[in-house]
Amino acid sequence: MTLQVLAAILGTVAFSALFGAPRKYYLLGGVTGGAAWLIYSGLLHYAGCTATEATLLATLGAVFLSRIFAVAKQCPVTIFLVAGLIPLAPGAGIYWTAYYLVTDQLALARSSGFAALKAAFAIVLGIVAMFELPGGLFRTLAGRRKE
Amino acid sequence: MEIRNCLPEETPGEREILELAMDAGTVLLENDAEIFRVEETMARICRHYGVESPELFVLTNGVFATGGGTTRVKHVPVRSTRLDKVAAVNQLSRDIEKGRYTIHQARQRLEEIREMPGKPAWLKILACALAAGCFCCMMGGNWLDCLAAGCVGVLLQALILWVCAPHLSRMIGNILCGGWVTFWCLVICALLPGRNLSPMIIGTILPLVPGIAFTNGIRDLADGDYISGAVRLLDAMLVFVCVAIGVGVVFILYHKVFGGAML
Repeated sequence: MTLQVLAAILGTVAFSALFGAPRKYYLLGGVTGGAAWLIYSGLLHYAGCTATEATLLATLGAVFLSRIFAVAKQCPVTIFLVAGLIPLAPGAGIYWTAYYLVTDQLALARSSGFAALKAAFAIVLGIVAMFELPGGLFRTLAGRRKE
Repeated sequence: MEIRNCLPEETPGEREILELAMDAGTVLLENDAEIFRVEETMARICRHYGVESPELFVLTNGVFATGGGTTRVKHVPVRSTRLDKVAAVNQLSRDIEKGRYTIHQARQRLEEIREMPGKPAWLKILACALAAGCFCCMMGGNWLDCLAAGCVGVLLQALILWVCAPHLSRMIGNILCGGWVTFWCLVICALLPGRNLSPMIIGTILPLVPGIAFTNGIRDLADGDYISGAVRLLDAMLVFVCVAIGVGVVFILYHKVFGGAML
Protein backbone atom coordinates (compact mmCIF):
# COMPACT_ATOMS: atom_id res chain seq x y z
CA MET A 1 0.00 0.00 0.00
CA THR A 2 2.94 2.33 0.65
CA LEU A 3 3.97 1.77 -2.93
CA GLN A 4 0.46 2.58 -4.15
CA VAL A 5 0.34 5.82 -2.15
CA LEU A 6 3.72 6.79 -3.61
CA ALA A 7 2.39 5.98 -7.06
CA ALA A 8 -0.67 8.13 -6.32
CA ILE A 9 1.53 11.07 -5.33
CA LEU A 10 3.74 10.72 -8.39
CA GLY A 11 0.81 10.09 -10.74
CA THR A 12 -0.99 13.14 -9.39
CA VAL A 13 2.07 15.32 -9.91
CA ALA A 14 2.27 14.07 -13.50
CA PHE A 15 -1.41 14.81 -13.96
CA SER A 16 -0.95 18.37 -12.64
CA ALA A 17 1.77 18.85 -15.24
CA LEU A 18 -0.58 17.63 -17.97
CA PHE A 19 -3.12 20.28 -16.97
CA GLY A 20 -0.48 22.96 -16.91
CA ALA A 21 -0.60 23.72 -13.20
CA PRO A 22 2.21 26.04 -12.09
CA ARG A 23 5.27 24.05 -11.12
CA LYS A 24 5.44 25.38 -7.57
CA TYR A 25 2.12 23.70 -6.75
CA TYR A 26 3.02 20.22 -8.03
CA LEU A 27 4.08 18.93 -4.65
CA LEU A 28 0.99 20.07 -2.77
CA GLY A 29 -1.20 18.64 -5.52
CA GLY A 30 0.68 15.38 -5.13
CA VAL A 31 0.14 15.42 -1.38
CA THR A 32 -3.58 15.93 -1.91
CA GLY A 33 -3.75 13.02 -4.35
CA GLY A 34 -1.67 10.78 -2.08
CA ALA A 35 -3.89 11.60 0.88
CA ALA A 36 -7.02 10.84 -1.13
CA TRP A 37 -5.68 7.44 -2.15
CA LEU A 38 -4.43 6.70 1.37
CA ILE A 39 -7.86 7.42 2.85
CA TYR A 40 -9.62 5.53 0.08
CA SER A 41 -7.60 2.34 0.13
CA GLY A 42 -7.20 2.43 3.91
CA LEU A 43 -10.94 2.54 4.44
CA LEU A 44 -11.57 0.00 1.73
CA HIS A 45 -9.10 -2.62 2.95
CA TYR A 46 -8.87 -2.08 6.70
CA ALA A 47 -12.12 -0.47 7.84
CA GLY A 48 -14.59 -2.56 5.88
CA CYS A 49 -16.11 0.39 4.02
CA THR A 50 -17.75 -0.08 0.64
CA ALA A 51 -16.08 1.56 -2.35
CA THR A 52 -18.72 4.31 -2.43
CA GLU A 53 -18.29 5.17 1.25
CA ALA A 54 -14.53 5.17 0.91
CA THR A 55 -14.76 7.43 -2.16
CA LEU A 56 -17.00 9.87 -0.30
CA LEU A 57 -14.70 10.11 2.72
CA ALA A 58 -11.58 10.33 0.55
CA THR A 59 -13.21 13.13 -1.46
CA LEU A 60 -14.02 15.00 1.75
CA GLY A 61 -10.39 14.67 2.81
CA ALA A 62 -9.02 15.78 -0.56
CA VAL A 63 -11.33 18.80 -0.79
CA PHE A 64 -10.48 19.77 2.78
CA LEU A 65 -6.75 19.72 2.03
CA SER A 66 -7.25 21.53 -1.29
CA ARG A 67 -9.12 24.36 0.40
CA ILE A 68 -6.45 24.78 3.04
CA PHE A 69 -3.69 24.80 0.43
CA ALA A 70 -5.63 27.23 -1.77
CA VAL A 71 -6.04 29.68 1.09
CA ALA A 72 -2.45 29.26 2.25
CA LYS A 73 -1.04 29.79 -1.25
CA GLN A 74 -3.74 32.25 -2.39
CA CYS A 75 -4.42 30.52 -5.65
CA PRO A 76 -7.44 28.88 -7.28
CA VAL A 77 -8.55 25.79 -5.42
CA THR A 78 -9.04 23.95 -8.73
CA ILE A 79 -5.30 23.35 -9.03
CA PHE A 80 -5.22 21.12 -5.95
CA LEU A 81 -8.74 19.84 -6.26
CA VAL A 82 -8.41 18.37 -9.74
CA ALA A 83 -5.05 16.85 -8.89
CA GLY A 84 -6.31 15.46 -5.59
CA LEU A 85 -9.46 13.88 -6.95
CA ILE A 86 -7.92 12.18 -9.95
CA PRO A 87 -6.92 8.99 -8.09
CA LEU A 88 -10.58 8.61 -7.13
CA ALA A 89 -11.89 9.01 -10.68
CA PRO A 90 -13.83 5.88 -11.65
CA GLY A 91 -11.53 4.94 -14.51
CA ALA A 92 -11.78 1.28 -13.58
CA GLY A 93 -15.57 1.58 -13.63
CA ILE A 94 -15.55 2.88 -17.20
CA TYR A 95 -13.20 0.15 -18.32
CA TRP A 96 -15.07 -2.75 -16.73
CA THR A 97 -18.43 -1.45 -17.94
CA ALA A 98 -17.16 -1.26 -21.51
CA TYR A 99 -15.49 -4.64 -21.17
CA TYR A 100 -18.56 -6.45 -19.81
CA LEU A 101 -20.83 -4.74 -22.33
CA VAL A 102 -18.86 -5.97 -25.32
CA THR A 103 -18.34 -9.42 -23.82
CA ASP A 104 -22.12 -9.56 -23.41
CA GLN A 105 -22.07 -10.03 -19.65
CA LEU A 106 -24.87 -7.57 -19.13
CA ALA A 107 -25.51 -8.19 -15.43
CA LEU A 108 -21.86 -7.50 -14.64
CA ALA A 109 -21.87 -4.49 -16.96
CA ARG A 110 -24.87 -3.09 -15.12
CA SER A 111 -23.36 -3.54 -11.70
CA SER A 112 -20.00 -2.05 -12.64
CA GLY A 113 -21.72 0.81 -14.45
CA PHE A 114 -23.76 1.57 -11.37
CA ALA A 115 -20.67 1.30 -9.21
CA ALA A 116 -18.96 3.92 -11.36
CA LEU A 117 -22.04 6.12 -11.16
CA LYS A 118 -22.19 5.74 -7.38
CA ALA A 119 -18.53 6.68 -7.11
CA ALA A 120 -19.18 9.75 -9.25
CA PHE A 121 -22.08 10.76 -7.03
CA ALA A 122 -19.97 10.22 -3.93
CA ILE A 123 -17.39 12.61 -5.38
CA VAL A 124 -20.12 15.14 -6.18
CA LEU A 125 -21.53 14.91 -2.67
CA GLY A 126 -18.09 15.20 -1.10
CA ILE A 127 -17.20 18.32 -3.10
CA VAL A 128 -20.52 20.04 -2.49
CA ALA A 129 -20.54 19.25 1.23
CA MET A 130 -17.00 20.39 1.86
CA PHE A 131 -17.52 23.66 -0.01
CA GLU A 132 -20.39 24.49 2.34
CA LEU A 133 -17.93 25.01 5.19
CA PRO A 134 -17.26 28.73 5.63
CA GLY A 135 -14.09 30.18 4.13
CA GLY A 136 -13.15 31.72 7.48
CA LEU A 137 -12.51 28.28 8.93
CA PHE A 138 -9.89 27.57 6.29
CA ARG A 139 -8.30 30.96 6.71
CA THR A 140 -7.91 30.25 10.41
CA LEU A 141 -6.51 26.80 9.74
CA ALA A 142 -4.04 28.18 7.21
CA GLY A 143 -3.08 30.89 9.68
CA ARG A 144 -4.23 33.73 7.48
CA ARG A 145 -6.44 36.64 8.50
CA LYS A 146 -9.07 37.98 6.15
CA GLU A 147 -7.55 40.75 4.10
CA MET B 1 -21.90 71.41 -32.86
CA GLU B 2 -20.00 68.21 -32.80
CA ILE B 3 -21.73 64.95 -33.31
CA ARG B 4 -19.83 63.41 -30.44
CA ASN B 5 -21.96 65.30 -27.96
CA CYS B 6 -25.07 63.56 -29.15
CA LEU B 7 -23.71 60.14 -28.34
CA PRO B 8 -24.53 58.64 -24.96
CA GLU B 9 -22.02 59.67 -22.39
CA GLU B 10 -19.17 57.22 -22.36
CA THR B 11 -15.70 58.07 -21.25
CA PRO B 12 -12.93 56.09 -22.93
CA GLY B 13 -11.74 55.16 -19.46
CA GLU B 14 -14.80 53.16 -18.63
CA ARG B 15 -14.81 51.41 -21.92
CA GLU B 16 -11.19 50.50 -21.43
CA ILE B 17 -11.89 49.14 -17.97
CA LEU B 18 -14.75 46.99 -19.17
CA GLU B 19 -12.57 45.76 -22.02
CA LEU B 20 -9.86 44.78 -19.56
CA ALA B 21 -12.37 42.98 -17.35
CA MET B 22 -13.77 41.18 -20.40
CA ASP B 23 -10.34 40.05 -21.49
CA ALA B 24 -9.43 38.82 -18.03
CA GLY B 25 -12.72 36.94 -17.89
CA THR B 26 -12.11 35.47 -21.34
CA VAL B 27 -8.70 34.11 -20.41
CA LEU B 28 -10.17 32.51 -17.29
CA LEU B 29 -13.11 31.03 -19.15
CA GLU B 30 -10.95 29.68 -21.98
CA ASN B 31 -9.04 27.73 -19.41
CA ASP B 32 -12.07 26.22 -17.72
CA ALA B 33 -12.22 28.36 -14.60
CA GLU B 34 -15.36 28.23 -12.47
CA ILE B 35 -18.12 30.66 -13.43
CA PHE B 36 -18.16 32.44 -10.07
CA ARG B 37 -14.40 32.99 -10.33
CA VAL B 38 -14.81 34.63 -13.73
CA GLU B 39 -17.61 36.86 -12.46
CA GLU B 40 -15.76 37.72 -9.27
CA THR B 41 -12.54 38.60 -11.10
CA MET B 42 -14.36 40.80 -13.59
CA ALA B 43 -16.31 42.52 -10.83
CA ARG B 44 -13.10 43.08 -8.88
CA ILE B 45 -11.43 44.78 -11.84
CA CYS B 46 -14.49 46.92 -12.60
CA ARG B 47 -14.87 47.92 -8.97
CA HIS B 48 -11.25 48.86 -8.49
CA TYR B 49 -10.98 51.08 -11.54
CA GLY B 50 -14.39 52.55 -10.85
CA VAL B 51 -17.02 51.32 -13.28
CA GLU B 52 -20.36 52.05 -11.67
CA SER B 53 -22.54 49.03 -10.95
CA PRO B 54 -21.44 46.65 -13.70
CA GLU B 55 -23.76 43.83 -14.68
CA LEU B 56 -21.92 40.65 -15.56
CA PHE B 57 -23.33 37.47 -16.98
CA VAL B 58 -21.05 34.55 -17.72
CA LEU B 59 -21.76 31.23 -19.39
CA THR B 60 -19.28 28.50 -20.27
CA ASN B 61 -18.94 29.84 -23.81
CA GLY B 62 -19.73 33.50 -23.53
CA VAL B 63 -19.28 36.63 -21.44
CA PHE B 64 -21.80 39.47 -21.32
CA ALA B 65 -20.96 42.66 -19.49
CA THR B 66 -22.53 46.04 -19.26
CA GLY B 67 -21.56 49.03 -17.16
CA GLY B 68 -20.43 52.60 -17.46
CA GLY B 69 -22.58 53.13 -20.54
CA THR B 70 -20.92 50.32 -22.49
CA THR B 71 -21.99 46.81 -23.28
CA ARG B 72 -19.76 44.03 -24.44
CA VAL B 73 -20.54 40.51 -25.54
CA LYS B 74 -17.85 37.98 -26.20
CA HIS B 75 -18.03 34.47 -27.51
CA VAL B 76 -15.46 32.17 -25.91
CA PRO B 77 -15.32 29.01 -27.99
CA VAL B 78 -11.95 27.34 -27.51
CA ARG B 79 -10.97 25.08 -24.70
CA SER B 80 -7.47 24.63 -23.53
CA THR B 81 -6.89 23.75 -19.95
CA ARG B 82 -4.02 25.72 -18.62
CA LEU B 83 -4.35 26.06 -14.89
CA ASP B 84 -1.26 28.27 -14.76
CA LYS B 85 -3.15 30.95 -16.70
CA VAL B 86 -6.08 30.72 -14.30
CA ALA B 87 -3.72 31.10 -11.35
CA ALA B 88 -1.92 34.03 -13.01
CA VAL B 89 -5.12 35.96 -13.79
CA ASN B 90 -6.34 35.27 -10.27
CA GLN B 91 -3.12 36.72 -8.89
CA LEU B 92 -3.37 39.70 -11.24
CA SER B 93 -6.87 40.54 -10.04
CA ARG B 94 -5.73 40.41 -6.42
CA ASP B 95 -2.81 42.68 -7.21
CA ILE B 96 -5.07 45.08 -9.06
CA GLU B 97 -7.28 45.23 -6.01
CA LYS B 98 -4.28 46.17 -3.90
CA GLY B 99 -3.54 48.99 -6.33
CA ARG B 100 -0.31 47.58 -7.74
CA TYR B 101 -1.30 47.99 -11.38
CA THR B 102 -2.42 50.94 -13.44
CA ILE B 103 -4.90 49.95 -16.10
CA HIS B 104 -2.15 50.11 -18.70
CA GLN B 105 0.18 47.83 -16.78
CA ALA B 106 -2.69 45.47 -16.08
CA ARG B 107 -3.43 45.21 -19.78
CA GLN B 108 0.21 44.51 -20.49
CA ARG B 109 0.36 41.83 -17.81
CA LEU B 110 -2.79 40.23 -19.20
CA GLU B 111 -1.17 40.07 -22.64
CA GLU B 112 1.85 38.40 -21.06
CA ILE B 113 -0.38 35.84 -19.36
CA ARG B 114 -2.15 35.14 -22.62
CA GLU B 115 1.17 34.54 -24.34
CA MET B 116 2.58 32.35 -21.56
CA PRO B 117 4.28 29.42 -23.25
CA GLY B 118 2.72 26.01 -22.70
CA LYS B 119 4.60 23.03 -21.43
CA PRO B 120 6.88 21.58 -24.14
CA ALA B 121 5.70 18.43 -25.92
CA TRP B 122 8.38 16.21 -24.41
CA LEU B 123 7.34 17.20 -20.90
CA LYS B 124 3.68 16.45 -21.62
CA ILE B 125 4.62 13.07 -23.06
CA LEU B 126 6.78 12.30 -20.05
CA ALA B 127 4.00 13.41 -17.70
CA CYS B 128 1.44 11.24 -19.48
CA ALA B 129 3.75 8.24 -19.37
CA LEU B 130 4.44 8.77 -15.69
CA ALA B 131 0.75 9.22 -14.91
CA ALA B 132 -0.19 6.07 -16.84
CA GLY B 133 2.52 4.03 -15.14
CA CYS B 134 1.61 5.24 -11.66
CA PHE B 135 -2.13 4.72 -12.08
CA CYS B 136 -1.42 1.25 -13.41
CA CYS B 137 0.48 0.52 -10.20
CA MET B 138 -2.46 1.82 -8.13
CA MET B 139 -4.79 -0.52 -9.98
CA GLY B 140 -2.63 -3.46 -8.95
CA GLY B 141 -0.29 -3.89 -11.90
CA ASN B 142 3.23 -5.16 -11.25
CA TRP B 143 6.28 -3.18 -12.30
CA LEU B 144 6.44 -4.65 -15.80
CA ASP B 145 2.79 -3.74 -16.34
CA CYS B 146 3.56 -0.23 -15.18
CA LEU B 147 6.46 0.04 -17.57
CA ALA B 148 4.27 -1.14 -20.43
CA ALA B 149 1.52 1.30 -19.40
CA GLY B 150 4.12 4.07 -19.41
CA CYS B 151 5.08 3.21 -22.99
CA VAL B 152 1.44 3.25 -24.04
CA GLY B 153 1.14 6.58 -22.22
CA VAL B 154 3.85 7.97 -24.51
CA LEU B 155 1.93 6.77 -27.57
CA LEU B 156 -1.31 8.20 -26.15
CA GLN B 157 0.09 11.66 -25.56
CA ALA B 158 1.73 11.65 -28.98
CA LEU B 159 -1.67 10.90 -30.52
CA ILE B 160 -3.32 13.66 -28.49
CA LEU B 161 -0.67 16.24 -29.35
CA TRP B 162 -0.32 15.60 -33.05
CA VAL B 163 -3.63 14.14 -34.16
CA CYS B 164 -6.50 14.75 -31.73
CA ALA B 165 -5.82 18.29 -30.56
CA PRO B 166 -5.19 19.89 -33.96
CA HIS B 167 -7.49 17.84 -36.19
CA LEU B 168 -10.31 16.05 -34.39
CA SER B 169 -13.46 16.99 -32.53
CA ARG B 170 -13.60 16.22 -28.85
CA MET B 171 -15.90 13.23 -29.21
CA ILE B 172 -14.11 11.47 -32.05
CA GLY B 173 -10.78 12.32 -30.49
CA ASN B 174 -11.70 10.59 -27.24
CA ILE B 175 -13.12 7.54 -28.97
CA LEU B 176 -9.90 7.28 -30.93
CA CYS B 177 -7.79 7.70 -27.78
CA GLY B 178 -9.70 4.98 -25.95
CA GLY B 179 -9.30 2.64 -28.90
CA TRP B 180 -5.64 3.53 -29.40
CA VAL B 181 -4.80 2.74 -25.77
CA THR B 182 -6.65 -0.57 -25.86
CA PHE B 183 -5.03 -1.52 -29.16
CA TRP B 184 -1.49 -1.01 -27.90
CA CYS B 185 -2.19 -2.73 -24.60
CA LEU B 186 -3.54 -5.73 -26.52
CA VAL B 187 -0.47 -5.72 -28.76
CA ILE B 188 1.83 -5.69 -25.74
CA CYS B 189 -0.14 -8.48 -24.11
CA ALA B 190 0.11 -10.55 -27.28
CA LEU B 191 3.85 -10.03 -27.61
CA LEU B 192 4.74 -10.42 -23.95
CA PRO B 193 2.59 -13.10 -22.33
CA GLY B 194 1.84 -12.79 -18.66
CA ARG B 195 0.96 -9.09 -18.61
CA ASN B 196 -2.16 -7.94 -16.75
CA LEU B 197 -4.31 -6.28 -19.36
CA SER B 198 -6.87 -4.54 -17.13
CA PRO B 199 -4.57 -2.47 -14.88
CA MET B 200 -2.62 -1.43 -17.96
CA ILE B 201 -5.67 -0.15 -19.81
CA ILE B 202 -7.24 1.45 -16.74
CA GLY B 203 -3.99 3.19 -15.87
CA THR B 204 -3.54 4.53 -19.36
CA ILE B 205 -7.09 5.81 -19.83
CA LEU B 206 -7.00 7.73 -16.55
CA PRO B 207 -5.05 10.64 -18.09
CA LEU B 208 -8.04 11.06 -20.43
CA VAL B 209 -10.43 11.67 -17.53
CA PRO B 210 -11.95 15.16 -17.83
CA GLY B 211 -11.09 16.14 -14.27
CA ILE B 212 -11.43 19.88 -14.59
CA ALA B 213 -14.72 19.84 -16.50
CA PHE B 214 -16.17 17.42 -13.96
CA THR B 215 -15.06 19.16 -10.73
CA ASN B 216 -15.81 22.65 -11.96
CA GLY B 217 -19.14 21.52 -13.39
CA ILE B 218 -20.16 20.29 -9.96
CA ARG B 219 -18.99 23.47 -8.32
CA ASP B 220 -20.90 25.57 -10.85
CA LEU B 221 -24.04 23.57 -10.06
CA ALA B 222 -23.45 24.04 -6.35
CA ASP B 223 -23.09 27.79 -6.91
CA GLY B 224 -26.42 27.85 -8.75
CA ASP B 225 -24.90 28.35 -12.21
CA TYR B 226 -27.08 25.57 -13.56
CA ILE B 227 -26.62 26.12 -17.28
CA SER B 228 -22.84 26.23 -17.14
CA GLY B 229 -22.64 23.41 -14.64
CA ALA B 230 -24.91 21.21 -16.73
CA VAL B 231 -22.91 21.96 -19.88
CA ARG B 232 -19.66 21.04 -18.19
CA LEU B 233 -21.03 17.86 -16.65
CA LEU B 234 -22.46 16.86 -20.01
CA ASP B 235 -19.05 17.49 -21.52
CA ALA B 236 -17.41 15.31 -18.87
CA MET B 237 -19.99 12.53 -19.31
CA LEU B 238 -19.48 12.56 -23.07
CA VAL B 239 -15.75 12.12 -22.64
CA PHE B 240 -16.30 9.19 -20.27
CA VAL B 241 -18.73 7.54 -22.67
CA CYS B 242 -16.52 8.17 -25.71
CA VAL B 243 -13.47 6.63 -24.06
CA ALA B 244 -15.57 3.62 -23.10
CA ILE B 245 -16.82 3.31 -26.69
CA GLY B 246 -13.25 3.40 -27.98
CA VAL B 247 -12.19 0.66 -25.57
CA GLY B 248 -15.24 -1.44 -26.43
CA VAL B 249 -14.86 -1.13 -30.20
CA VAL B 250 -11.28 -2.34 -30.14
CA PHE B 251 -12.25 -5.26 -27.91
CA ILE B 252 -14.94 -6.23 -30.40
CA LEU B 253 -12.55 -5.95 -33.34
CA TYR B 254 -10.03 -8.09 -31.50
CA HIS B 255 -12.73 -10.64 -30.86
CA LYS B 256 -13.81 -10.64 -34.52
CA VAL B 257 -10.28 -10.98 -35.86
CA PHE B 258 -8.90 -13.55 -33.48
CA GLY B 259 -12.19 -15.19 -32.54
CA GLY B 260 -12.54 -17.62 -29.70
CA ALA B 261 -12.97 -16.81 -26.06
CA MET B 262 -12.82 -13.18 -25.21
CA LEU B 263 -9.47 -12.50 -23.57
